[in-house]
Order: sequence, then structure tokens, then C-alpha cells
Amino acid sequence: MKNKIKNILRISVLALGVVSVGGCSSDFLDVNNTPNNPLTVPPSSLMTTLAYDASFASSNDLGRITSILMQYQAGINNQVLTYDTYNIRGASNDQWKFELYAGLLINAQKMIDNTQSTSPVYAGIAKIYKAYGFSILTDLWGDIPYSQALRGDNNVFQPRLDSQKDIYLGNTGSQIQSLFDLVKEGMADLDKTSVLKPGADDVVYAGDVKKWKRLGNTLLLKFAIQISRVQPDRAKDEITKVLASADGYVNDNALDFQVVYGSVAGAQNPLYAFNIVNRPDDQMLSQRFRDTLQLYKDPRISKFFTSPTGQFVSFNNGATGAAPASATRSRYGVYLTGVSGEAPIKLVTNFQRAFILAEASLSLGTAGDTQKLFEEGIRASMLKSGISATDVDAYFKANPDVVTLKGTNSQKINQILTQKWIANVGNGLEAFNDWRRWGFPRLDKALNANGGDDANIPVRLPYPSLEQQSNPNVPTPGPKTFERVWWDVD
Amino acid sequence: MNKKLLMSFVFVLALVFQVLAQDRAITGKVTSSEDGSPLPGVNIGVKGTSRGTTTDANGNYKINASGNAVLTFSFVGFNSYSVNTGSRTVIDVKLVNNNQELEEVVVTALGIEKSKRELNYATQNVKGSDLAQKSEPNVLNALQGRVAGVQITGASGEAGASTNINIRGITSFTGNNQPLFVVDGIPVSNDLDRTNGGPNGTLGGPQSSNRALDIAPENIESINILKGPAAAALYGSRASSGAVIITTKSGKGGSLNKKMEVTVSSSYTVQNMYGYPELQNDYGQGSAGIYLGTTTNSWGPKFGTTPTLANGLLKADGTTVPYKAYPNNNNDFYKQGSIASNSVNLAGGNATQSYSMTLGNTTQKGIIPGSEFNRTNVAFGGTTLLANKIKFGGSFNYTLTGQNNFLTGNGASAPGVLSSLPRSYDLQGLPYKDANGRSIYITSNDNPYWSVENNKTTSTVDRITGNINLGYDITPWMSVTYRLGLDNYTDRRKQVFAIGAARLPTGAILEDVFYRNEINSDLIFRFKKDKLFSDDINFTGLIGYNVNQRKFQNVSAYGGGLTLPNYYNINNATTYTSANGATGESNTLRRLIGYYAQASFDYKNYLFLELTGRADQSSTLPKDNNTFFYPSASLGFSLTDAFKMESDILSFAKLRVSYAKVGKDADPYKLASVYTVTSQGNNVSSISFPINGQAGFSIGTRIGSGNNLTPEFTTSYEAGGNFGFFRNRMNLDLAVYQTISTDQILDVAVAGSTGYSTRTTNIGKMTNKGLEVMLSYKVITGKNFDWTVTGNLTMNRNKVDEIGNGVTSFSVPGSAFTGSVPSIVEGRPYGVILGNKRVRNADGKFVINPVTGFWVAATPNQEISNPNPDAIIGISNSFKYKGVGFSFLIDSQQGGSIVSFTAATLKGVGALKETAVDRDKPRIIDGVILNSDGTYRPNNIQIDAQNYWSQQGTQTDLNVYGATTYRLREVVLSYQLPKSVLAKLPFGDVNISLTGRNLFFIAPDSPIDPELNTQGAGNIRGLELQSAPNTRNYGVNVRLTF
Repeated sequence: MKNKIKNILRISVLALGVVSVGGCSSDFLDVNNTPNNPLTVPPSSLMTTLAYDASFASSNDLGRITSILMQYQAGINNQVLTYDTYNIRGASNDQWKFELYAGLLINAQKMIDNTQSTSPVYAGIAKIYKAYGFSILTDLWGDIPYSQALRGDNNVFQPRLDSQKDIYLGNTGSQIQSLFDLVKEGMADLDKTSVLKPGADDVVYAGDVKKWKRLGNTLLLKFAIQISRVQPDRAKDEITKVLASADGYVNDNALDFQVVYGSVAGAQNPLYAFNIVNRPDDQMLSQRFRDTLQLYKDPRISKFFTSPTGQFVSFNNGATGAAPASATRSRYGVYLTGVSGEAPIKLVTNFQRAFILAEASLSLGTAGDTQKLFEEGIRASMLKSGISATDVDAYFKANPDVVTLKGTNSQKINQILTQKWIANVGNGLEAFNDWRRWGFPRLDKALNANGGDDANIPVRLPYPSLEQQSNPNVPTPGPKTFERVWWDVD
Repeated sequence: MNKKLLMSFVFVLALVFQVLAQDRAITGKVTSSEDGSPLPGVNIGVKGTSRGTTTDANGNYKINASGNAVLTFSFVGFNSYSVNTGSRTVIDVKLVNNNQELEEVVVTALGIEKSKRELNYATQNVKGSDLAQKSEPNVLNALQGRVAGVQITGASGEAGASTNINIRGITSFTGNNQPLFVVDGIPVSNDLDRTNGGPNGTLGGPQSSNRALDIAPENIESINILKGPAAAALYGSRASSGAVIITTKSGKGGSLNKKMEVTVSSSYTVQNMYGYPELQNDYGQGSAGIYLGTTTNSWGPKFGTTPTLANGLLKADGTTVPYKAYPNNNNDFYKQGSIASNSVNLAGGNATQSYSMTLGNTTQKGIIPGSEFNRTNVAFGGTTLLANKIKFGGSFNYTLTGQNNFLTGNGASAPGVLSSLPRSYDLQGLPYKDANGRSIYITSNDNPYWSVENNKTTSTVDRITGNINLGYDITPWMSVTYRLGLDNYTDRRKQVFAIGAARLPTGAILEDVFYRNEINSDLIFRFKKDKLFSDDINFTGLIGYNVNQRKFQNVSAYGGGLTLPNYYNINNATTYTSANGATGESNTLRRLIGYYAQASFDYKNYLFLELTGRADQSSTLPKDNNTFFYPSASLGFSLTDAFKMESDILSFAKLRVSYAKVGKDADPYKLASVYTVTSQGNNVSSISFPINGQAGFSIGTRIGSGNNLTPEFTTSYEAGGNFGFFRNRMNLDLAVYQTISTDQILDVAVAGSTGYSTRTTNIGKMTNKGLEVMLSYKVITGKNFDWTVTGNLTMNRNKVDEIGNGVTSFSVPGSAFTGSVPSIVEGRPYGVILGNKRVRNADGKFVINPVTGFWVAATPNQEISNPNPDAIIGISNSFKYKGVGFSFLIDSQQGGSIVSFTAATLKGVGALKETAVDRDKPRIIDGVILNSDGTYRPNNIQIDAQNYWSQQGTQTDLNVYGATTYRLREVVLSYQLPKSVLAKLPFGDVNISLTGRNLFFIAPDSPIDPELNTQGAGNIRGLELQSAPNTRNYGVNVRLTF
């Protein structure tokens, strides 16, 4: 009997002993705090993220689609080839999921939530980023989740769509803040007392609040010109106020809102990573862009595109014949890619601002000398692309027809937007916006176009299928690719 | 802790009573009536008392009984026997073997041995001899076609590739649906750790092994498959997908009272690529009928065409292009592989001790040049009965597994490039690398030979599994056992891309180390009481206490921009990236405490009731709500015994029903939302922080569950029956079941506009309904000749009833090409593949573009393929004539479909045999064109063959193939030396066999073997993404004992 008890004790004690190795304290089961990820981060680490999220979103797949549609590039293989015949349905899932809403925008929202009360300078910059991000979305898709978006952590899983009109102009009844007001609110935050202030973490302006205010005003110009066809009075009012603002606007290439990349893998800009490293055979210089630049004898072509054979070898959008040999093709050049991927991604620039004001002076009658502003835009772009001041002067002298506005207002706007199109190479989003607003530059549709809903150049992007699957407020199949967004009147 | 100690004292105190009566001693010996061999372990009881004993290793027993007592002798596999002692003091007994499969002993949950007669749920037992020496290093492959209710699919024929196993369908949306693997009583990992480095991302990984591959088939004594939650409920949450219970030779220990026996097994197998689509050999490299040396298309001129400037065979300078078919340029890339396997087993024992030791090695050279898999295992196990009557046992197993393999699963991998190899390209004859060691090929993709020589992934796994167990019979009706198990492995991997690799021109190195450790402890008290409440009710039961801890760590470092060629130290890199976790560390730790109990009642040996309950306390659930309970109940009723209706036709009939509910906890760290290092993009362009020295963090894309998370549950209902006919020559086992999985814990997709990608919550409902039939029939049992047919049928119908919260569809986590997405869709079976579907009108005709004559733009995101089979059938015939055995196994999958990128690519480039048929003739797609009034007219636009085939695209419903397959899975011819010859030799047994595996298949609806699953074990099925083909194996095996 005694032995039995001993034996039972022996086994039981061993059994329980093993448990007690880990389990003597009551927190044996309290091991569910992740060692893999932080639960909070300082605003500086979000700040850097915003710059790269914004520039990545603008120059990755959305940039590729719009650069193909705007015939900077011609597709040769894989996805971009299908974009060239306007087969764009089914794309853009990652852009909503990872780049914009669940990238740039949610991080901007988190930064606002985390810093509004203590470090409002951070919140102010985040609001400017947020307004810029939402403008990309609404310009491409029209009505989008906006006022109820970015609230997944507050159990809002199916945000409603707000109309593009409400997004640009605001709608108090529906509690929709206008993009103009969002930027202005951000600019106001920049003047408040802030515990933490950005520095090196702000890779765009190094924490210079004045420069952020200039950008804020320039964004207001961009938004105003975007709605100028449908809301000319409001547009004129906004532009006039900016021109009178003491904060100024981006009026020098050194003030451009652009994000510098690096030259090692993972830090290289998407234009370089896609066109030079990972998918060099997927797309090349479009014949239309080459022809235009060569027609204008524009020196920028050698900065914008490579010429491995000494010639600029291009391809006609949508052609089905064999593409030129890979080694001979012209691809994005040093202005866009840098030597090894470090070139900045240009988002809102001085030349854009000059062209915007030139256009507004004609179409809205805002202040400013149209011809001067037009020249200012070309000059700013040429200098930015690396043409020397002497060569720019020489070009202006040799090509008065190119740099002088002539004819009707419409013809002049065509000239302005054609030059803006050239200057915006690498930024298909802005070119797509301008082209839809006025139809300039005039583009023939690609050969063999069979996609889109009428086989014509789309005037909006179809909603991403993943969003349609998980948000019943987003219509399926949704608007056709030929249905115009609100500000696109003709 | 105090509570736990207190509990153990309660157990102990409960034992401190026992009455020992002193009467006279009866001794005797129990032997088998068949061959007179002594039977150890026979249970002997004195009727009407709780007294009992068991026979020793020599079959001897001693028991005290008073007066004219009745002794009962019972032993699994033999008929019970009762005898009146009278005044005798020596009673020898011969037990009659009941010779029924129903009495076969199976190992059920927690190592409880039961006869099949007592089971109230379906299990299926496979003997080790059916698995070893089958020319298959992966034990799961050897199970294919043998078990009802189980679907087993290999990833490919690549050496060491993983194998997927699902029992009774998929029950969890995003969790692990592989069954729990239990070896010698301890849970072991069958995880598949993936290595996915570089911009090839998740689609460009090697085919890594599932860790069940570490189990050497030669060391397996038997496998029992517990199919449903009822069978596995005591294992708790992890067995909701069933359990595979493996008993190893070393775990079992040797037989008692046997001299040392040595078994030597050797086998050698050759394997050849099999199942690749047939290719055309009429047209060569070119496009639109014109030779073009830079294309991968085979749309060039017909072979034998006269060279002209127009067809490109005559060049402008007057030279001609040598132009002919290389019919085997693709197939010859895959060389003959081999598998050499050797093992030695020593086993023996005496009255109180037994031991077994196994040493084994398997070396496989795969069909891809340079691919390799090898496994070396050392196992030792033993048991001993200590002087203080405590049984002590343990086993220890060390396995060293190595794998050397390559990139598969995208167009840049060797199998991807091969699928677009021009028919006139002399792959074997032309050089594949230049003087600088760089690849030479017609496109910027890597030459397949260069690719496998330079872009490798190696894996080295050191794994130790072991257990210690203690047992003690406290009283005849109560015993205690304790088992402590350990499973620990480290997998050190290195993935290398050489400088010059097409998609990583500057080269890259990924160091990827996985560490996994599981400790499992069970303390179990067992109770056995015959004649509980009445003479007719026997009772067995148990109470158990389980503690489980699992640790996992993955450390990886990814460096690119290599400085020196052929120097693969991570310090040779110039850049390091953290994108998608390429460099970083991931740790998990989870703990679980379980309390469980089982009670089994047997009424007159014809009515069996079993009840179980288990409560788990898990570290992964919210602290205040981390305990959950789940029960099971099962009832079995033997008609033949109850109604004494046994006849020569119906020898046995038992009906059974069961209900079980199994709860499952969450993965670790699901409660909180976290921040992550920022990265963006995929394999076409990506960024990852730090950038230019600046750190960047983002809010994670997953919304944590908060404290509302509850366990998920799977409820199962099962009914079935065992029937024996013709004196049990024919046995039929039927089971129907329904399992309902609810409150799934998953990262459900949320709209991107919420700012997130997923959120962790309880959501959804999924059902599986199924039918399983197992039939065995001894057609002939003669003195010299036996013929046995066994068959099994599996039918499972899965349906995603509900996802919830407005979500009607989301993709199965894992990786897939964006146009072919394995998905969870409400109202559809699990894992249907969404992709681009060609538009059809109401009559089902393709709608054709009136301008081009091609299909109009396909509609994305439509269901194009359903990988779930309608039925799986296996039929095995085995014949035995004296020492010669012959058996063959035919299996078939009916229904289901596969998306094949290989077949699609071969079509598009004009290499598939079909594409050469009538190539010079125009074709008109059988479809209709929309008229302006909304009606349709027949399509009449001619298109050429090249456009017809290449416009079908890779990721559309035109590249989905029916997966119905009939396969001669296995043929075995064996010879056992007769005893008369053996008597003159120093061997106890000599067995020689020839094995053929995957000898032949017919897949009427598919150009490629549909049994391919590039992503391997996991929840993604039915996608062939350009991986290695399958193999046909021939082996010779020898087994000697002495």
C-alpha cells in the first residue's frame, strides 16, 4: 500500500513538476503579447511613410496605367500590354488596398489621430497628404468612400460613397468636408504650438512649415483648376485667394513637392524598379510622345528617355507586330529614373503651377500674363529636366512657334496642356486629369483597342473588384469606362 | 499551482482503499489455440469480484480465488473464455483466435487501444507493411488511394516536395486544415514552412517539404486515421481536421520474450518524369509562320520548308538557319531520378524489458538536375517494468533531412521557361552559360540548366522527437500513466540567386531559419470496472490533464547586390531589405491547458456508449474568456449480438451514431492591431524601409479582434455501420457525416476603403457532408491461394454557407496570381478559383468581338474552376500464391478541375501537340456576334491558328481542365522465401519485392497530369503554376530478418 502511494506520488509529482517549470505563476497563459511588432510608433516614422506611400502610389501601377493611356509609353508585355488596349477592369486592387486607402491615407489618418492634440504640426502635414491622396482617388474613380472611409478600427466596414462634387465642395448636411477645407485646416494646424516637430523625417521639406504652406496653397490651385470647367466661380475664387495669400505658393523648382529615392534595391523609385530592373521588356517609349518631342525639336527627350542605339526607338500604342529588339528600345531616362533609381518622384511642381495659372488666366480670367506663365512653365520643366539655362534660352530663340501662344483660347489651352503633358512625363495622373478636363493634347486611341466599355480611351478607372466584393456600397459592375466624372464636362 | 497540487492529492487519496482477500492461488498458462504460442497480457478476472491480473511474458498467470470461482480470460483478438475453477489450482487455457477484422486492435485518441467492434466512429488502419518499401519517401504519398474519406495530393514530382492531406474536407476558412499528426502518443508538426525570397515573391518559392516527411516509412509499425471530431475529440482543438496516429517500431518497442531480431530493408527506385503534356514536332521557332530567332514561340514555318527570305530560314546574307525539331528538348531536361533507401532495425526483449532501434537512410536524386532529398534517422525505444511495478518507457528519434531544390511556380523558373521552349531549340546541344558563367538563352529569362545550377534553395532540418512515459497499475481497476513528449526542429535554409539571374540581375541571398518546439504533457488516470451497476454493464473511463506549449521562430536575412560571384555568404550582399519580412524575425509562443474525461459503457457486448468532454484554456484567447468546453457522445449497437441473428450470410452487423463538438482557439497575437515596417509593392516594383537611412512604420493592414474573440467550433454528426458477410469474408464499413463549422476565427477581408485589408473576427459557417465506403472481400481463401479485394469510396460535399457582415467572397490566404485567385465564396465549395471568364450569351455561346473575331474582353473575378472532386475511389487487388504475392491498386478522382499554367503556356506558344493540328487553316471561333438590335448572329470571322491559341490567355476559363483521372497507382510483386529454404539459411525471413508506382494514368479532359498542386500542402488547391511534373517509379526492395 505504501509503495502504491509512493508510486502514485512519483508519477503525479513528475507530471505536475513539468507544468510548474513554466506554470508556477498565474501568468502561465499570459503570453499573448506579440514580440514581433510595435503597438505604438512615434509620428516621425509615420511621416517618412507618408512621403513614400504618396509617391509610390502615384508612380506605381496607377502611374503606369495613366502613362499608357496618355501615350507616354507603349505596352509590349504582360499587364501594361493589356492596359494599352484598355483592358483595365480587374486592376487597381492593390492600389486601394495597400497604396492609397490602406497605405497613404490610413497612415495620414493615424498621424492626425495621434498628434492633433499634442503635436498639431504633424497633424497639419498629414491633412495635406490626406487631401492629396483623396484627390488622386476621386479624380480617377469619381464617387468614392471619403467621409466614412478609414474608420475600420471604429467598426465602419462598409463606408458609403460620397459624390465627387461633395468631396471637392463639401456638404455640411452629409458631414462631408471639402478637400479645400481639409487643406486649409491642415495649413492652420501648421501655425499651432507643437511638442514634436518634423525634421529629417520629413524627406520633402525637412520640417520647414513655410514650405508646407506654399504646398498647401499650390494644392488649392490644383484642386481649383480641376473643378474649373464645372464650377468656374468657385475655382476663380479659390485661385484669386491663393494669389493674394501671404503664405505664397510653389514658385521655384526648389520648392517642388517631390520625394527623393535611393539607389539600392528596395529604395529605388518605381519608375526605375519597373522599367529598368524588374520588367525592362514590358513597355517602351510611345511613338506619339517621341513624334511630338521630335516635332518640337524638344531637347528634353534625351533626359526623358534613353537611346541605346543613338536613335529614339519607339512603338505604336496597341500595335500587334513584333516590338523592336529589347536592347534597342528607348526606356525612361535619367530625369525619371536617376542613374540607379534615386531620381525624385515629382508630385506637385512649380511647372504645373505655372501651367495651371496660365490655363486659369485664359479660362477663368484670373490674374497673370498667360504667355509669361506659359513660358515660365516650359522653362521650369526644361531646367528641372537638366537642360542648362543657356540651352533653354537657345531653344526659346530657335522655336518661337512652340513657345508662343496663338489663336483662339481653345487653341492656346491646347498649346498649354500639350506642353504640360510633355513636362508631366512620368506623372500620368496629372496628364490624365488635364486631358479629361479639356481633351488636350488630342490623342488617337490605340490600335487594336478592344477593352474598356466602348474600346475608346477610358475617362475613368473601373472600381477595384476586391472593393466591390467587400463593400456593397460600391456598385457592381459600376460606371462604364466612358462615363465621365463630375468635373469632366465634355 | 496550489490548485493543481491539491487536485493531484485528491486523485491520490481516492486510491487509498483496497481490500485484499487471501484465498488459494490458482496458476496456469494461456496459449493460442492456433500455434500454441504463449499469450502475454491476457486479462484474467474473477467473476463477481474486482480481482484481476494479466499473464506475464510467457503467458503464465497467478491469481487468488476463493471456493468455486469463475475465471474469465479476455484478450483482444481472441474470443473470451470463462471457466469454473472447481477445486483446481492449475488451469491452463487455450484461447481461440476470433479471426475477425472487427477485433483488430486500433490505436485511438491518446493511445487508447480498442477493438474495432467497440468503436462508434469511423477510423481506418493501415499497416506499416503497406507503406514501407513503396518507393515513396513521403509516407503520405504511400497512403494515397488506401483510405476512405481522405484526399491526398502531392505538389509535384520534385524531390522532397510537400503533400497535402485533408480528411473529410476543409473545415476551417483560413486555419490549418491538415490533420493532427501524433507519433507514439505525442503531437508532432506537419507544418510546411515556406521560403519566398526576393522580388519573385511568394510565387517564386521552392517546393519545400511538409514535416511529416521526416517520418521514415520503414520505421512505421502502423497508422490509424481518426477521421472525424468524434474519433479525435480527446485531442482537442487541433484534431478538428482529424488525426493521423502513427505508431513507430521504436515507439512500440520490441516484442516481449523474443530474442534479438534484426531486420534489414533495402530498396532502390528509379523515377522518370511522367504526365507532361504531349508536344508537337511539326513547327519550330518563329511567329506568324516566319522564323524568328528571338522568340520563344513555336509559330514558325513547318519543318522541311524550303528556306526563303520570306520565311526567315534564308537570311539576307545568303546563309540558312538549321531548322529541325528536337522532339525531346523539353522532356530530356528531366533526367532519371533515383531513391536509395536502407534501414536496419534491431528489436528484442525479455519478460520485463523490450527495446527497438532503427537506423535508416534515404537518398533521393530528383528528376531536376541537381535536386536532392535525403533523410537519415536514428531511433531508439524501449520499455521496462521496474521492480516497484512502475512501467517505464521512452523513445528517441533523431532525423536529419536535407533538400536541395529550385525555383518553381512562375514564368522565370526552369519549369516556366521550359513550357515556352521553342520546338526547334537544341536545349541539350547548345551551351547554357558563357565564359563568365552567365546564362545563355534566347530571351532574358534564365536558361533552365543555368537556373537549376545557380538559383538553388537548400534546406537542412535537424529534428528530435522523443517521449518518456510512466505507467502504474494502482489497482486492478485503476491505473495512471504519464507521458511527456518533445518535438523540436531547426530548418536552416539558404536561397540563392546568382549574379545574372534574370529577375535578380545583381544576385541575392536569403538566409531563412525556422525553429519549432513543442512540449506536450499528459497525465491520465484510467478506470476499468466490469459489472458496473449490473452484471451486464462494463465500464472504462479516464480523466486527463494536458499541458501543451508551442514555440516558433523564423529568422531571415535577405541581401541583394552581390559583390563576388559564387560566394554565398550574406556578407557578400551590398543591400539588405526588410520588404515583406524578407529580413526580420517572427516569434510565436502559445500555451494550452486541457482537462478531459471519457466514459465508455459496454452493455452485454452489443451496446456501446461513449461520452467525452474536454475543457481547454488557451493563451491565444482574451484573458477573461479563454476557457471553452466541448463534448462528444457516440452509441454503437451490434444487431447480430443483440438479436442473436448471426448467420452464415450475415456474420456481423453493427450500427453506430455519434455527435461531437470540437473547439479551436486562435493563432497567437490576434487580439491587438499593430504597426509594421512600411513596405509597398510586389515583384514588379517595391519599396521597403529603411530608405536612405530613414525608418518608416505603418499601421498594420489587419484590425485586431479586441477582446470579443471566441473559440471556433466544429460540430459533427456521423452515422454508420460495420457489416460482416459470409463468415466475415466480406466486410463493409459505411459512414455518412455532416460537419458544421461555425464562428470561424479568421482575418476576414474588409474593404480597402476602411483603411485596412483584413480584420480578425468570428464569422462564417461552412458545412461538409460526406459518404465513406470501405469494402474488403476475401474472394478466395485457399490453402495456397488467396485473393482479396479491398475498395474505398470517398465523397465529400463542401459548402461555404455564410461569410457574413456583407462579405460574400474573399481570397484564400496565401499567394496566387491576381487573375487566378483561390477563393472562399458564399454558396460555393471552399477554394473555387476566381479568374477571367469569357463572356457567353444566354445560350451559352461565346460572344465574339465583331471587329477582331476574338472573344470579347473576359469578365474578371468569375468562378472558373472548382478543385473539389466529386468522388475519390481506390480499389486494390491482392493475390497470394504460396510465397508469391501480387497486388495492384487503381485509384480514381472523379470530377474537380485544375488550372494549368503549363498547359496554357504550351498552348499560347504553339508547343502543345493540339496546336499543330490544321495550323495552316483559318478558324472561326464557335460563337456569336451581338447585333445592334440585341440579337446574335453566328460568328463568321476567320482568325489564324496562332492568334486563336495565343488569345486564349493564361488566366482564363479556357485553361481549366477536368481533373477526372484513372490511375494505376501501384503494382507490387513480392516473393517470400519458403520456410524449407529458410531453414538452411541464417535468416528468419527473406522478402523480395518489385514495386511500380504511378505506372499509368488516363485523364480524359486534361492535357497534363491533374494531380499537381504547385503550392503544396495547404488550403490552396487546384493550381498548377509551372512546377516539376510527376514521376513514374520502379523499385526493387529486399527485406531480411535474422
